[in-house]
Parts: sequence; C-alpha cells; structure tokens
Amino acid sequence: MHRKLWLSLFAAVIGAGLLVAAAVAAPSNSGAPQVVKHATAGGTFNIEITSDVTSMDPAIDYYVPGWQLSYATACKLVNYPDKEGAAGSQLVPEVAAGLPTISNNGKTYVFTIRSGYKFNTGENVTAKSFADALNRDANPKIQSPAIAFMDVIAGANAMADGKASTISGVKAAGNKLTIQLTTASPDLLARLALPFFSAINPATAANLNPAGDDTAPSCGPYYIQSRVPNKEIILKRNTYYKGPRPHNVNEIDFKVGNTQVVTEQNVTTGTADYANGGVPAADYKALADKYGVNKGRLFVKPTLSVYYVAMNQDRPLFKGANAAPLGQAVNWALDRRAILDQAGYLAGVRTTQVLPPGMPGYKACHCYQINVTPGTIAKAKSLAKGHTGDGKAVLWSMGNTPTAVLQAQIMQFNLKQIGLDVDVQTYTRGVQIEKEQTRGADFDFTADGWGADYADPYDFINVLLSGANLQASNNNNIAYFNNPKYNKLMLAASRLVGAPRYAAYGALDVDITKNAAPWAAYRNASQRDYVSARTGCYVFNPVFEMDYAAVCIK
Amino acid sequence: MFRYLIRRLLWAGVLFIAVTVVTYVIFFIIPADPARLAAGQRATPDEIVRARHFLGLDKPVPVQYALFLKRLVIDHSLGHSFTNRQDVNKVVLTAAPVTASLVFGGVILWMMLALPIGVLSALRPRSLLDRGGMMFVLIGISAPVFWVGLILQYAIGFRLGWTPNSGYCDLLNTQGGCGGPADWAYHLILPWMTFALLFAAIYARMIRANTMDTMNEDYVRTARAKGAPESQVLRSHVLRNALLPVVTMLGMDIGIALGGAIFTETVFNLPGLGKLAVQSISTFDLPMIEGVVVFTTLCIIVFNLIVDLLYAWIDPRIRLA
Repeated sequence: MHRKLWLSLFAAVIGAGLLVAAAVAAPSNSGAPQVVKHATAGGTFNIEITSDVTSMDPAIDYYVPGWQLSYATACKLVNYPDKEGAAGSQLVPEVAAGLPTISNNGKTYVFTIRSGYKFNTGENVTAKSFADALNRDANPKIQSPAIAFMDVIAGANAMADGKASTISGVKAAGNKLTIQLTTASPDLLARLALPFFSAINPATAANLNPAGDDTAPSCGPYYIQSRVPNKEIILKRNTYYKGPRPHNVNEIDFKVGNTQVVTEQNVTTGTADYANGGVPAADYKALADKYGVNKGRLFVKPTLSVYYVAMNQDRPLFKGANAAPLGQAVNWALDRRAILDQAGYLAGVRTTQVLPPGMPGYKACHCYQINVTPGTIAKAKSLAKGHTGDGKAVLWSMGNTPTAVLQAQIMQFNLKQIGLDVDVQTYTRGVQIEKEQTRGADFDFTADGWGADYADPYDFINVLLSGANLQASNNNNIAYFNNPKYNKLMLAASRLVGAPRYAAYGALDVDITKNAAPWAAYRNASQRDYVSARTGCYVFNPVFEMDYAAVCIK
Repeated sequence: MFRYLIRRLLWAGVLFIAVTVVTYVIFFIIPADPARLAAGQRATPDEIVRARHFLGLDKPVPVQYALFLKRLVIDHSLGHSFTNRQDVNKVVLTAAPVTASLVFGGVILWMMLALPIGVLSALRPRSLLDRGGMMFVLIGISAPVFWVGLILQYAIGFRLGWTPNSGYCDLLNTQGGCGGPADWAYHLILPWMTFALLFAAIYARMIRANTMDTMNEDYVRTARAKGAPESQVLRSHVLRNALLPVVTMLGMDIGIALGGAIFTETVFNLPGLGKLAVQSISTFDLPMIEGVVVFTTLCIIVFNLIVDLLYAWIDPRIRLA
C-alpha cells in the first residue's frame, strides 16, 4: 500500500514536471541577454530565411526571397533607389546613363550605357550585357518565367518558340541598347527593373543549362560567392562596384530552413541578425511591447500588396445587373477589422481599394466605411435586396492555414447578414490557385492576394481586372471581371506616361471600387521585420523590402 | 539460399514498380499544374504550353512513367526538379547522409537506452526499477516527437545554450566553418535524443516482454538446473532468443526511418530526406517526390533483405525456403 502511494506520488511529480516544461516553453523571446558589440565598418550580416530560393540564376528565379537578395547583387538599366516610401518606388537610371530616348510612337527605346560598372570578375558591363540577358531569358532552353514580361518586345515570342536564335527587336551596338516593341508599353521601364533583366557577363550568356547558374557573376554592390541548396547562400562585396548604391557590410550570410521559432531565438540571442521568414505571428505583440515599433528592433512597413475577396462575375449570382449592387453590398458588410485581426498584430492596414498606398497613382477612395456598424449593415442589406439569387454561395478560403480558415468564417458570417448562405470550401494554396484561375471554376467568392511585381499600377489594375486578358486558364483576373467600358479605360491608361498615367489609374481604381465593385479588398499587408540589436541602417524599399545593400552593423 | 535471394530480388522489382506507379497516379490526381507554377503567375496559355513541354508533362501519363523508368534504369537518373531544376540524384544523395546520420545515431542511442531498461526491468519485474523503466516507456510513447524536439530545442538549445538549437554540419566536409566529426555530433545531440526517445520506449517494452517470456522457457530452466551461472544463462540462452524479434524490427524500422524522419528534420532544420519530401509535396515537384520514394523503397527492400538473411544466420533453425 505504502509502495503504491509512493509510486503514485512519483508519477504525479513526473506529470507536473511535464506541465511545467510546457509552460516554460511558451515565451520564446526571452533568451540569454545579448552582448552588443560596437562593431567597426564592414563585418558579416547574418540572415535567416525559412524557405530556400528556387535559384540564384536571374533568368530563373521568380520568388520573393530570391528577388530581395538579387536587389543587392544585380545591376540593371533602371532600378529602384535605396529609399523608403514613395521615393523608393520611383525608377531611376542605374547603368543607363539616363532615361531612354523613346521614339516611333513609343515603340523604340534607346538606352545609352554608362561606363564604370563591372562584374565581380572585373569584366565591364556593356550594352551587350543587357542584350544577352534578354536573349537568354527568351531562350527556350532556359524556359524563363521572364518571357511573360517580354511579350511586347519584337521577336521575343519567336525566339521563345524556337523560331529565331536571337530577339530581333533587341540590338546592342557600342554603348547603345535599342529595344523595339510591337506595341507601345509605357510600363516597359518598370518591367526592365525586374531581376530577370539584370546584366549578365558573356560566360553566363553562354550557359544555357536549364538548371541555371547559382553563382553567375554580378555587377551590383554584392555578388554570390556560393550557394548550397537548402543550407546557405553567401554574398560578398563586389570590390569592382563603384556605383552610388550603399555597400556597408563585407559579407551577407543566409542560413536556410530554420523554423520561425528558431529564427526568432537566433535573432534574439544575436546569432542571426534578421528573420527574413518572420517570427511566429503570435509573438509580434510581445516584441512590439518590448522594443517598440520602428525603433531599431522591430520594423513594420507597408508593402505593395492587396488582399481581397474576388466575386466571380461569370457565376449567376453576379450576372448582369446583380453584380454592382451585390458587390457594393459585400463591401459595406465585410468586417475588415475582424479579418485583419486573424493575421496577427500589425499584419497590415485595412483597405477597400485595388491599389495599395505607395503605388504611384494611388488616390484614397473612402468609397466604403471601413468600420462595420449597424448602419453599414443596414446599407449593405438594402443594396443586396433582390440581388442574392437563391441565397446560396460558395466561398474559397485563401489556402488551408488556420488564419485563412478563420478569415473565411468571418466572411461567411458577414455575408450571412446580407442574406447569403455561404459554403466555405478549403484547399491547399496551390490547389486553390490552380482552380480559381481556370475559367468556369465553381466559386462565387474567393479570397486571394497580390503583391507587386513592379511599382506600376498596370501590374494591379490591368493584370487583375482587365477582361481583355481573360483566357481558359492561368487567369489573374479571378473575378472574371469583363466590363467593356473599363477594359477600354484600362487600355487607354496603359498607353499614357508620367503624371497623366498615374492620375488615370488613380481615377480607375476609385471608379471600379465604387461603381463596379468586382472585389471587396480588405487588407494591405505590412512587412514585419525583426532584427538583432546590432543591425543598423535599416532601409525598407517598397518593391524589394529590406535593403540588404544598405544595412550596416552598429 | 541463392534461389531465395533471386526470388526476393524479383519481388523487390515488383514492389518497386508498384510503389512508383502509385506515386505517379496520386500526383496526377491532385489538381495542380507544375507547368503553370514553373511558367509564373503572368504566363499566357502559350507560355504554359511551352513550360509543359519543357517539363515533359505534355506526354500521356503512361508515357511519362515509361520515360521515367527508362531514365532510371538506363541512365540511372531521377531527372531534374520542376521547382528549382536541380539534379534529383544529387539532391537525394546529399540529403540521404543527413537522414542516415540521424537514423543510425538514433538507433545506437535508442538501443543503448532500450536494452538495459528492457533487460533489467525483465530481471526485476514489479521492482522500482521496472516501474521507473515503464514510466519512461509510457512518456516516450505518449509524447509526440515534434513536441519533444521543440522542448529540447527550447530548454537545452536556447535557454541553456548547451547545444546548437538547429542546423547540420557535415561529417567530413569542413568548409564553411562547420564540419568534421565533432561539429557533426554536436549538432546532432538534440535530434538524436528526439528521434531515439519514441523508439527507445517501444523497444524497451518489447525487450522486456520477450525477455520475460524467454526466461520462463524450459531450456532456460534446464540450463539453470545444470548449474550454469546466471550470467551465462542470460547471455547464451535468454538474450539470444529474446532479441531475435528485435533484430527483425530493427531492420524494418531503420529502413522506414531512412525514408525520412520528417518531424525531427523539420524541427532541427536537418536537410534530410524527410524535409525534402515535405518541401517537394508542397511544391508539386514530381521528380523530387519520386526520387525520395525510389530511395526510400530501395532502403526498405534492402534492409528487409538484410534482416531476413541475418535472421537465418542468427537462428540455425531458420532455413530460407
């Protein structure tokens, strides 16, 4: 009896110990205290990325971490300056001596290439370096995703189809690069600022291995010294770089694959300097309380992105005269606060518009009241009345993460208020994208998001809402919005340049949001960057996010 | 023996075909298009067609499978990743030693724990030692592997700083400041502990049960009656028979574990087959998925064969029919 009692007590102690261990495991941001050294200039900056890049070859990579990295290594005809806010999204000439000479009704661009730029091998960057990049991107052996952005360049598609050995519309002669277009495309400069079109040296140009080249020479402030897939990437200073961009640290080391939990631990202890993949969403509040926001450790910056609920205009629920009033009703009914809260502390700001603040042309709309009140619900109900069909609808959540499912449930509740009984369906993100981009998909609402490829409103308005782009599959216009009036306005806006272009897009954004309402946008995401105590010179470029070239060690 | 070997190898071939066919079928049932993913979000239908041709996905599925088999058998190549275009052979062969390091080190640790706990518990049933051992078994079987890993990582790796909290160092390659046997073992301490706990618990329980059963056998009673020392009875009669099923289980578990200790590799960021499998599935990377499947299948087949042969060698009563 005594023995049994002692054994029971022993077991209880073990169980209690396990509970204590679990409780101790909860706060993950209070590790060993950091020792902040007063470092000299240079040094090595350590970054943790949770998912590996697909490739470091500029022709192949089409993934955010890789593009962010390439912003530190590439040199381009035009580029975004190392600045924050609106200034950071204004293109400036980089290797091009100035903005191009445009002629032939906007179809001929001539760039003059300045001297002085060199690859890390010491080779000069020339007009041919950019012509080679374009030709390599169009080469069918490489099968680069860049070809989707080259459709306006004369001869690009012919080369991609294997009908030509070079792009007929691209010519390099001396320090002049000439690009001929099939049609005027005022967003060409923004496209040329994509990492796909970075200068490449002759050895890279000759490398047509479809696996790409992870250590192709670079002409930016840094170059890729080595890459071990799924393990690490190392960047070193390009000692031949004499351009105006910053290049403070000597080396940037990327460690690949740690979970967000471990990444946060490492940044807290100073083993790493930057958590590129973020930290667990639940920890941002504690970090903000501890360090403040934008005060040196935790930075929260707006991104050029939008999250929205697209309303499928091909479905009976949104056919004809139903579409606009029902779309407006959804916009009045959607509880953006509750939806945003599911994404975590400081995850973004609420919006009702297509264009994000910071995008050239953005004009605040105030089309719908951002807070849900009994008054907004009443307005939503009156707009929806008579337009809800049989009262049933299907909503696809944005993937199957817990956050996405919770957000979908809130949307379901909101739509119930206006008389729609919504069936929420959940798929993995890849499957959801595949299905919703196929015309004829059986959803009425789908939650999705979009991040800018480049800082031009065409990348949002035309790409996401032009009916002229609709095809059988791979549609980005997942609202299947196809209004001839707006199609015409979008086309007209795309042909403008400068201030009139941006004004036209700003007006289109407001007009579509207010009057056509094929979407209910709800969030512009914020980038939340947690950095170590020794991280200094933090710059957030709106297109490429944290600027690795600008960073320094305090 | 030779005929047995040939028969097993033929069955291995059939099993291999079956497993790879099932993988192909499952992959193509999933409504996701790797060509669309490769072409990018702005691609036109023409560009997706080009990407599909580039990836070899424009051929009928049986033809794709036949080409995969031909490439595997004749060229010994598993192809290239759809996602990052890396050579699958190279990626799998780079990941395999990481998983092997985890598994074989884990095996040694779990047997070092399981054998003494199981045997001592069996020799002193219902003692404090036995009950303590079974408490350990209960905890080991009940605690999820990923939870154990996270707790160890947080407590020992992060709070105490006694070991690294993640990462892998190569056993032989010392480039990059992290490599060599000392670094390799140091980084694997927590993963080994995590990986070994569950198996140690299961094996301790199994060894205890087998040992207790064997100790009640007539031949053991006879050996004792003839005056053999207890240590000799234990060594020559009890353990030899009690551990036979353990040998079988060990071979099977090693084979299966080599397919990827997914949770442990993910928690500790070990770039092994388990992590590779998870990444490949999430990106619909068929060649990489098939690469992991092929390698895992081969491991299971080989280890099962070794176990069967070993079993026949250990127990003379067994004849390979």
